[in-house]
Parts: sequence; structure tokens; C-alpha cells
Amino acid sequence: MMPFQIRIERRLERKWWYSVLTPVLSVFAALLGAAIFLGIEGFDPIRVYREIFEASFTTRFGFTDSVTIAIPLILTGLAAAIVFRMNLFNIGAEGQLYFGAIFGSWAALALTDGMSWVLGTVIVMIAAAIGGALWAAPAALFKAYFGVSEIITTLMLTFIALFFMRYLIFGSGSYWRDPETTNFPQGKKIPDGARFPQWSDTRLHWGLVIVLLVTLIIWVLIKYTSIGFDMNVVGSSENSARYAGIPVKRTIIVALLISGALAGLAGGAEVAGRAYALDPNGLELGLGFTGIVVAALARYNPFGVVLVAIFIGGLRNAGIALQGLPGERIPVEVSLMLQGAILLFAIGGEVFSQNRLTITRTSSSTSGTEGAAA
Amino acid sequence: MSSDQPGPDETRSGPAAAIRAEAVTKLFPGVIANDHVDFHVDEGEVHTLLGENGAGKSTLAAMLCGLYRPDQGRILRAGKPVNLRSPREGLAHGIGMVHQHFRLVERFTVAENVVLGDPYQASLLKQREIEGRVGELGEQFGLPVEPRALISDLTVGQRQRVEIVKMLYRGADVLLLDEPTAVLTPPEVEALFETVRAMTAVDKAVVFISHKLGEVMEISDRVTVMRAGAVTGEVATADTSPRHLAELMVGRPVEVEIRRGSNAAPGREVGIAGLGLKLSEGDQVLIDDVDIEVHRGEILGIAGVAGNGQRPIARALAGVVPPDEGTVTVYGTDVTGKGPKAARRAGLSFVPEDRLGTGLVPNLSLTDNMLLTRPRGFFVDRRAARAEVTEAIDDYEIKTPGPDAEARLLSGGNSQKVLLARELDGLGEPGGPQALIVSSPTRGLDIGAAEFVRGLLHEAREKGAAVLIISEDLDEVRSLSDRVAVLYRGSIALEGPTDELDIEEIGLAMAGFDRSAS
Amino acid sequence: MNDTAFILTLAASVGAAVPIALAALGELLSEKAGVLNLGVEGMMLVGAVSAFQAGDNTGNLWLALLAGSVAGLVFSLIHAFLTITLRANQIVSGLALVIFGTGLSTFVGKSIEGIPLEPEFDKISWGPLADIPILGPVLFDQDPVVYITIAIAFAIAFYLNRTKSGLAVRSVGESPATADSMGVSVSAFRYVHVMAGGFLAGMAGAYLVLALVPSWSQAGTTAGTGWIAIALVVFASWKPVGVLAGAFLFGFARRANFWLQGEGVDIPAEFLAMLPYVLTILVLVILGVRSSGRSGAPAALGIPYVRDER
Repeated sequence: MMPFQIRIERRLERKWWYSVLTPVLSVFAALLGAAIFLGIEGFDPIRVYREIFEASFTTRFGFTDSVTIAIPLILTGLAAAIVFRMNLFNIGAEGQLYFGAIFGSWAALALTDGMSWVLGTVIVMIAAAIGGALWAAPAALFKAYFGVSEIITTLMLTFIALFFMRYLIFGSGSYWRDPETTNFPQGKKIPDGARFPQWSDTRLHWGLVIVLLVTLIIWVLIKYTSIGFDMNVVGSSENSARYAGIPVKRTIIVALLISGALAGLAGGAEVAGRAYALDPNGLELGLGFTGIVVAALARYNPFGVVLVAIFIGGLRNAGIALQGLPGERIPVEVSLMLQGAILLFAIGGEVFSQNRLTITRTSSSTSGTEGAAA
Repeated sequence: MSSDQPGPDETRSGPAAAIRAEAVTKLFPGVIANDHVDFHVDEGEVHTLLGENGAGKSTLAAMLCGLYRPDQGRILRAGKPVNLRSPREGLAHGIGMVHQHFRLVERFTVAENVVLGDPYQASLLKQREIEGRVGELGEQFGLPVEPRALISDLTVGQRQRVEIVKMLYRGADVLLLDEPTAVLTPPEVEALFETVRAMTAVDKAVVFISHKLGEVMEISDRVTVMRAGAVTGEVATADTSPRHLAELMVGRPVEVEIRRGSNAAPGREVGIAGLGLKLSEGDQVLIDDVDIEVHRGEILGIAGVAGNGQRPIARALAGVVPPDEGTVTVYGTDVTGKGPKAARRAGLSFVPEDRLGTGLVPNLSLTDNMLLTRPRGFFVDRRAARAEVTEAIDDYEIKTPGPDAEARLLSGGNSQKVLLARELDGLGEPGGPQALIVSSPTRGLDIGAAEFVRGLLHEAREKGAAVLIISEDLDEVRSLSDRVAVLYRGSIALEGPTDELDIEEIGLAMAGFDRSAS
Repeated sequence: MNDTAFILTLAASVGAAVPIALAALGELLSEKAGVLNLGVEGMMLVGAVSAFQAGDNTGNLWLALLAGSVAGLVFSLIHAFLTITLRANQIVSGLALVIFGTGLSTFVGKSIEGIPLEPEFDKISWGPLADIPILGPVLFDQDPVVYITIAIAFAIAFYLNRTKSGLAVRSVGESPATADSMGVSVSAFRYVHVMAGGFLAGMAGAYLVLALVPSWSQAGTTAGTGWIAIALVVFASWKPVGVLAGAFLFGFARRANFWLQGEGVDIPAEFLAMLPYVLTILVLVILGVRSSGRSGAPAALGIPYVRDER
């Protein structure tokens, strides 16, 4: 028997500042923990943190790069948020993102030559959304009609998509592959008409506008439309939905398709805004999986997703930015490790903010007679 | 408190009670579930805890078995204070509880369920030996169980037997049975009572929790009555009467008010009609060839023991499930198989048996719950619903922080009120729904709220609504309905005007006795 | 048909199956107790890098294998604490574990990247058994970890089905409320089995760097083995011996490429790599159609347990 007992009770009232304070405290705790570790490994943690911070947030290029990295993360975050809040666990945003990229780059290569970017990118994004939704469709149908757990199917579909994408570029002379690069295969570059222009001299591109617009739409969808209402009901209680005549299967399918489409958009945004080609190496960054954690930390709130995504984007950016720094090198891997540590601490912190924790000492005898100190 | 201090039992003559609760108090957020409750049961005795829903019986039982810990007061086992921190420690002290919702692993066999968690079980499981012992134990107490059967294949009554065997196998000498008869048919109830008698015969102490007076009188030696978290009386069964117990239970002399109307007249327009309804699940027939007609300005009450087809009938009539055979019409509009929305458009409201989780969505606000069965456009407009909730909070005296509170935070009675407010709104009025199906309309409500709801139903009926009440509470059915129909095994066993059926006749039909045969 | 190539491929498949099987058996233990741990890949990486460090420093493979296993166990405690004690969402926590594990192992493993590891596991000689055609080289000419893995699988099957604790674990995964009411400590059983899962995942990672790849190369070391392991548990319908068979099949899919090329069969490597995932979906759908969604998954898998106290 444990010498103490941890009891968790749901807080009935939640002070508003909990939702601000907990993430901040979690981040500090993670930084503190990692600092000790860095110290042991022989680095000066203060310096490491300062450089990461400068590299991703306080400088103009740093910050715009962080936001650029956040663009696909916001979309995969929304993809997770919209279904996780109804206890539907689409963990395949990663694969849906790949399919969005495959469809988006196909549309770019096949349709947008000579177009203005305003039209061209919209075509790419629509194709990408369709691709993502299609890749979520099998999981949605199996779930709705056979009751097959979407957790496993979406995960399996992710790896099928991954290998399919690799096949298109590395394993075959497909339409997507640049025929001139035989030694080191690469995707064919998409025409200018399918590219989001960048803002002045930064890497930040017009995809951001689309992403923010999509965020707004998703928020309205969840909060103010009947589709969102039905999704809330089905997510909380399928029995209630059936009782009220809300079509459960259709709602599940629609929700998963929207989720897939959002993840697909992330793939489209990467193709049209950063990679300009179907580039497996540039896409296999775990953006889909990270999006799930982003959504969880944002408590599945669309605007929260934007903020958390920019923060995580900054950490990811730091990894890249640190490489370019002169002088004594700070290993790039620090940022990856920090990212994981912060995510874990934040998940724990989130539980603290929602629940009250009491730790009680217990005696090990089974017939103790002291009054219960609950 | 320390254990070397003499307990009160030791100062008395005679053996200590098998289990005793001394001035126990249990607080839940906003509610005093138990307020300085004293209770004890002796060896070889059946002691009933009687009280309405929400009176605090289950909370007390939960403290006796170690599921909850009292905030104040103490529990004594055979005269010694015990600090039970979990059901496991309760069991270690020989206290076992059979919950209303069974605690069984569906995919395990009976024998596996019985040995689960047994501290005296050796590390290696010897299947045949265990199965033998389980079978023997069942036989000893009149509990026939097949040790190798999977729980998922058993009926409710069989599962309950497994629960009891489980506790006996673990050496429980104090058995707490939480509303054990609620899910049983009359013959099963008789068999259970045989088992209870077999247990007291070998000096086991039984705590029987119930709100059914007849059963209480039959099985118990003593009765402790609870109301609103406090004990209102403790009497020996031999010295009391059902009427007296009922008074203790509800806190005033009971006069079941007859709210039946007199204007029930056949030949009026039929509001709700289900003809030749048949519904099966797998190879189990749930309802078979049921005809139901409720006329305008009439209340029809469906009585019966739980599990005889009440739920399927309500669901089929309300369009939640399409019937396998038969037709459903609401004021002449055929809504068969067209879903709940079509039935609602034809003027039918429906209060389902499960409040939170079917009638109400736990994680949604009260406002959104009010919108659940209302027509919605592409965009959701919450203004009218919010006003409606605010009004209902006043009318029904719903205890809640406000219209934005989530439904799951409400107590059973309060969520029931929200549900009724939504479904009864405008009932019988021009433009409002003209028909209602309601399961157990007053279950879980305090006396005042129950009266209020009865008034509403009565009023709706006077305005010309067709009302179908489905309830296991025979008194409720009889006091409200113009006509009564009795369900037994998925069919209507008896039907007629309430005034022309005596209670005995209805009781026999509920138990499955054919009138002509008896 | 080129027999030698085929037999060599089969023999190599056994080796490739070991880390898949070990990780999947670990995941199976965790899932049987009701805890879905998607962090297998992360635990394997941490196990791998620790094992490599230990092997590099001590030169003792067994010590290295143990170090990797223990590292996996310690790492799994994060998931256990977050999901069992704090009741965080198991999916989210598992994915965060992968991200953290990848970062941590890459950071720690920076100094050893690409260095080959000298010692190797000696193969066990089974004497005449090893000379049996086909079966000999495939089954009786392998390193000891192969046999340890097989033994573990059978031991787990026995444990789950024939012992008191096994019954308790299954009850915790099927119906924690029942287990709790019968005096089985839900959180203790969940902790122990998540940790056992971490131990085996760590061992799987260790085997990768000690025997299969013999060097450390970041995430390339595991190359998705952890995810295949998660698929395998489903594919084998939560049966330990099924996991063993499935691991061999999935291992074969990873090794069949060279043999198929030799045979002139031109199946792209990517399609072979997809095979485990396609098969797993197929199994799920077939089971789903046949028994309306009920696979062999523990009923309470993924659901945090809260004792019912209003």
C-alpha cells in the first residue's frame, strides 16, 4: 500500500485566472526541469533559453518564422480540436496532412499554371481539403457503420499515407516527381500561380490569412450552427442524440470529414506556402501529431489553438534558428527536448487547473481508527 | 478516536450489532446526504432501510460498505470502530454490498467474477476447483448459478445471484442489498427472499434497501425510515403497518390524491396510436403485438414491473426506434419509422426514462438542453431558450447556478424538472404539442415538485392533450390515469378504466397471472 | 526459386520480429490493464539510446539490454503518472511522450551518433537441431534474445489466463469499477503494467541498437517500429501468442524486399512497408462487421478510472 494517497476532485468553480496561470506555470516548471538537465550535461541553461527566446520570439525574423511554422500547426490543431471535444479521436491528422499535400500539389501542378496566385492557391487549398477529408473517410465510415475504433484506423491510415507519399517521390516516376532529379529524388516544383506570396522580406506567407479565417469559421461552426450543436450533443451523449432525432452516424461522419479536411488544408498550406513541391522530407515533421497536443493544451478552443500553435511553432523554429548561430553551438536537439518536456508538463498542469488535488497520508494498517481526513 | 476506548456496545448487555453507524454525516457539494444518522443491524436479522429516492439510503449503505467515508461519526463492526477506506477494506471486515448497478465483468465467467480479488485465492487459478466451490455455495443459499457461463449471457436476475454468491464467497457476514427487487419479476423476488432467509438462518446480517412497502413488510425484522438525509423512525416490522411506514417516509399522512378526470369519453379523436407494434433485439422479442390508443383529453397509464417492455414501447411510439411491425400515428399523421423529429412535428412530446444521458445532454448548458428538442435553423438562436430556462428555474424551483450551468451538475430531481419543463411546455395549448409520453413523471422529485408536476399533467389533460404515462409505481399510475394498461413480457396483459380495475387484479396481471386461470 | 535467399530472409525476419514483438507484448500488458500508451516509439528510443550508452561504456551486452529496459520503464512512469494519477487523456499523453522521447534521445545520443557497437550477441547453437532444413536456420540458429522473447510471450499468456493477478489485470482493463469494488487496486495494477510495458518497449529499443542496427542514429533507429507494435496488438486481438505470430509476419514484411527483388518480383518497398497497417485495418473491419464493433479490445481501454463519488 502507498504511504500516501492522492485524491483528485473536479473543481466545481474554476477561477478564470487558472486558465492563464496554469499554462504559464507549466512552462516554467518544464523550463526549470530542463535547466537542471542542461546544467548536468554541461550547458548554461540561461544562455540556452535566452538564445531560443531571441531566435523565435523577440526578433522580427524570428517571430515571423515562428508564425510561419505555426500555420500548419494551427490547422492540425483545429483538426484535432473539433473532434476530440466530442470524444472522437482522430489521431491521423498526420496522414490526412500528407494526403492534403498530395492532392494540393497535384492540383497545383495540373491546374494552376499561369493563374494569379489568388485563384491558384484557393484551388490548391480546396484540393488539399478534399484530399484530407478523403483520407479520413474510411475511418469515419468504419466508425459510423461498423463501430470500429477510429483511434486505430486513423493511426494505421497515417502510415499508409506516409509510405504512399514516399512511394510517389522516392519509389516511382510518378507525376509528382521531378524527372530531372534522378540521384536524389525530389518533388516537382509547383507553378508560381499556386504559391502564397511572402510578406515583404520575411518567410511569412498569405496562408496565415486563410488559416485565421478558417479558425473563425470553425469557431462559429462549433458555437453558433446546428451542425456544431449536433456535434456537441453526439459527443456528449449518443443516446440523447438518438432521442432528439439527431442523426448520430451522419454527425460522426461529418465531424471526421471536417477534421480530415482541416488537416488536409495544413498539407496544402505547406505545399503552397513553404515547400512548393510534394516534399516528404519537409512534410514528415510530426505536424499532425503535434497538432493533437496543441489542441489539448488549448482545451480544444479554436482561438486557444492559434496561441498555443504559435508558442510551439516558436520552439520548433528555435531548433532551426539555433543551427545558424555563430559561436559556441547549442545543440538543435535542445529545442525538440524542451518541446516534449513543456508538452508533458502542460498536460499535467491542465489537470491541476481542472481538478483539486489533495494528498493524504495514510497509515498502512487496514483497520486504522483515526478519523478520516478527506 | 482510538480503538482502546470502549465502544457503546460493550457497555450494554447482549452481543454487539453486526454493523452500526453512529451519528454519521456525509456532505456532498450543496447537499447534506446523511445528517447524524444512527443505524444498526444484528446478526441473523433483516433490517430494511426505507425511504424515497434521494432520502440518503444509498449514501448510508455506501458508507457502511466502505465506498464513501463519513465526514463525521463512525462505523462499528461487531462493536469495534472501523475506518473503512474502500470496499476492499469493507469486504475484509465481512461487509459486502450488492449494488443496484451490478459490478460484474461482462467477459468473465461466473466463477472468474466470484474469485476476482479474493485475498485467499492462491496465485495459480485452478479452474475446476473454483467452479466446484462456486456451484456448491450457490446451492447452499438457493442461488442456482452456472459457474462457467459468461456474464454477458445471463439475465438480470441471474446476474444478481452472481453478485450475492460473490459476496458470500468472500465470507461476507453483513450483506447490503441496494434495491434488489427493482429489477426482478415477482417469482424472482420470491426466490431472492428465500435466499435472504437462508442467509439469516446462518446468522448473517442483511440490510435491505427498498421503497416498496409490501416487500418491506414481508421480508424485514426491523425497519429504519429515512427522509431527506435523516432518520425519521426505527420500528419492528411486527409493530407497524404499511400506512405508518408510508407516513414516516413522506413526512405526513398519505392521502393519495386522485387527480383523475371524469370526462374521459371514448369516441374522441385518437392522439397517440400504436397498432400491432412489434420490436425485437437480436432474437429477444421486446414487445409483441401491442395496441395502444390514447385519446384527446385522456391519460393512459402503463403499469408493470421494470423490464417488461416499457422502454421499447415508449421508444417505438416516440419514433426513437422504428418498430419491426405495426404503425404509429400521432393525431392521424403516420409517423412510423420516420424518426423522433417527425413525431414531434405531429405534436408529440416525450420524457424518456433516463433523464441525464438521454433526455438531457450532460455536458451541455441548460439553455442548450432546452434547445435539444426544439426546431433549429442553420444558425442556433439561444435567446428564446435562455428566457425559457430562466422561467423554468422559477416555476419549478430548480436549484442551479443559472441557465449556462451544465446539466450534469444538477441533482437528479433538478434535472428531472428541467426535462419536464422542456417537454411539458405549451402542452395542450393551441400551437403547442398535443400529446405526451412520459416515463415515471414524478420519480426523484420531492413531494412539492411531484404535486406540481401532477397538476401540470392534469391541466394538460383538461386542455385536451393525450397523455401516456409509463411508470413502475402503481400508485402513481392509478392516481393519475383514466385508463390503465398492464404490461407483462412485452404484451398488454390487462387493460381497462382505472375505476373498474381493483388493485389486486392489476397486481396479478403485473406478476403474469392470467385472470381466467386464477 | 532461390531457396537460400528465402531461408535467409525468413531467418532475418525472426530478428526483425523481436523488437516488434517485445514492444507489442509490452503494449499488450498496458492495454490489458486499460491504459493505451501511444508512446511506444518514444520509450523505445529512450531505451535504445540508454542501451547504447551502457553498451559503449561497459562492453557488456546484457547489462546494456537491462539498462535500456530500465530506461524504458522509468520513461513510461511519466505516462503512468499523467494518465493514472492525474487522469490526463491517454492519447494526448502518449503522443507527447513520443515527442519528448524523440527529443531527449536525440539530445542525449548526439555524441554517439553513427558509432558502431563492437560486441554482438552470440548465436545459440542447438547442435543437430540447427541442421534441420529451413526450420534449423530460422528457429534454431538465433541469438538468445529471440528465445527470451518467445518465452516472454508464453509467460504473459500464462500469466493473463491462469493466474490470480492475470485475472485481476484483465478485470481492471474490462471493468475497473468492478475490480475496485472487489478489492483490486486499479491504479496499482495500471501502474505496474504500464511500467512492464515500458520495460519491454525499452528492451525492444535496446535490441535494435545492440543487435539489429548495431549503431545509434536518432529516430532512424526505430523507424516506426513502435507504431507497428501498436498495430500488432490490435492485429493479434490482444493475444500474446498471436502477437508472436504477427510479429513474425510483420518482420517478414520488413525483410522480404531483398528476397522478392532476387525473385524478380518488383513490389515497391513502400507497399511492403504499408502491409502491417493495411492488414490491421482489415482485421479490425472484418471483426467489426462480424461482431458489431467488438474487437478483442479491453472494454475500459483508454478511459481513466474515477471512483464513483458524485
